[in-house]
Amino acid sequence: MSLRLLKYAFIEDYAEPRYFNTPDEIKKSYDVVIIGAGGHGLACAYYLAKDHGITNVAVIEKDYIGGGNTGRNTTIVRSNYLTEEGVKFYDASVKLFKTLSEELDFNIFYSERGHFTLAHNDSTLRTARWRAEVNKHYGVDSEVVYPDDIAKACPELDLDCGGNHEVVGALYHAPGAVARHDAVAWGYAKRASEMGVEIFQHTRATGIEHNGNGVTAVITDRGRIETHSALSAVAGFTPTVLDMVGLSSPLEIFPLQACVTEPIKDWLDTIIVSGSLHLYVSQSSRGELVMGASLDPVEVHSRRSTFEFVSGLCDQMLDLFPFLGDIKVNRQWAGMADMTPDFAPIMGTTPIDGFYIDAGWGTWGFKATPISGKTMAATIAKQTDDHLITEFNLSRFDDFALVGEKGAAAVGH
Amino acid sequence: MKYIECPTLGRRPYSEFAISGILEPEPSERPDMGAARWAFDRHSVPTVRTEWWYHTPSQLWFKVTRDTGNDRIAEVELAGLMAKENI
Repeated sequence: MSLRLLKYAFIEDYAEPRYFNTPDEIKKSYDVVIIGAGGHGLACAYYLAKDHGITNVAVIEKDYIGGGNTGRNTTIVRSNYLTEEGVKFYDASVKLFKTLSEELDFNIFYSERGHFTLAHNDSTLRTARWRAEVNKHYGVDSEVVYPDDIAKACPELDLDCGGNHEVVGALYHAPGAVARHDAVAWGYAKRASEMGVEIFQHTRATGIEHNGNGVTAVITDRGRIETHSALSAVAGFTPTVLDMVGLSSPLEIFPLQACVTEPIKDWLDTIIVSGSLHLYVSQSSRGELVMGASLDPVEVHSRRSTFEFVSGLCDQMLDLFPFLGDIKVNRQWAGMADMTPDFAPIMGTTPIDGFYIDAGWGTWGFKATPISGKTMAATIAKQTDDHLITEFNLSRFDDFALVGEKGAAAVGH
Repeated sequence: MKYIECPTLGRRPYSEFAISGILEPEPSERPDMGAARWAFDRHSVPTVRTEWWYHTPSQLWFKVTRDTGNDRIAEVELAGLMAKENI
């Protein structure tokens, strides 16, 4: 036990300082109200205060901070996307992530591991080459590697996959990393709170008032908050919030499940993804294998997890890593992924003045946390879409101007 | 394993079915909607709705009424020609 902890045990009024302070009362009005205190909402609050000096901000959250998809993802950060918009956007995010621990003075356990997207057939390898060329063109470290290189980086991997799906190559992305997802939310919350942002947990938005001139108030179960700017950053609950302002979207909500094994000795120091086998795996700093698969096949608006998911995933895992046969799965859970038809997010301004949206993060939201916060903060401060996110506006579905990012989704969904 | 109580086939595992979208009006029945709205508008809030489900082994189509909030199935009804001919 550390001496500091022992000291707290004996001194009653000398408690560990809170990460952030929540005022007892919600003020009557704020410059900006952010609905949803996940990584994205909190990052936006932080950059509003830091980059734009807007500190009269309330972040309201119906549950606890980082308890939604921020705390339910498999924490992989990468930028080897397929479209120009995607590569530039996610690369900016990786750059912010790399220095985030220093920026927030808060350890987010950012750990660069290298990221292999395995190809089990020629067509997947062809897509990998395409992605590598696009990535290199925009200065992202990404290349196609072959079985010898994979065996060197991860000797435990069975390259024959039990003779069923032989590995013929991989897309290798050296900056691929993992981070502690809760720490990202808590770090942003702590620093935003220090600058004056107020965070209210267990406060549910129930309505948004607007007139011809735009948003006038956000209604919560703790009262009415006057504001002219409201941001929806609620992932799987976005259609419910859009109902409050009468907007529609192409979002469909599918559960995305993940699980961890019991902690085992360190052996996996890279991130392994296989689109054909529908799985991705990395080893956490605690030694657990963090594993995920593709989306559930049917739309469900709840966070239930299923036995079918674990048994299906473990079946595929054993093809890649047969020696894991005796390892137990410790926990499993699900998040509600808000999927768009083109696998790109929906960000920015909307037809209603003062109502902003940050959604459509489906299965790729965690890696975009810093850049989505930064660009949404700029969008709210300037009331016009930031240049990095103009292609992601909700209006693209009216104009049939989709982004086409499906080829870069981690696994075939 | 999760099962579906099907009035035609009896108790069948979920994994034998493929879900093919929501039972909804055709575009010609919705002149108020433009093509883009029809193609992209979804209203993905928790609700009870009827969907097209395909049973792969028997190649039969069903109309399944399901609560998306808890994934419970309320009703399963045989669809298509087979239903009309009462086979």
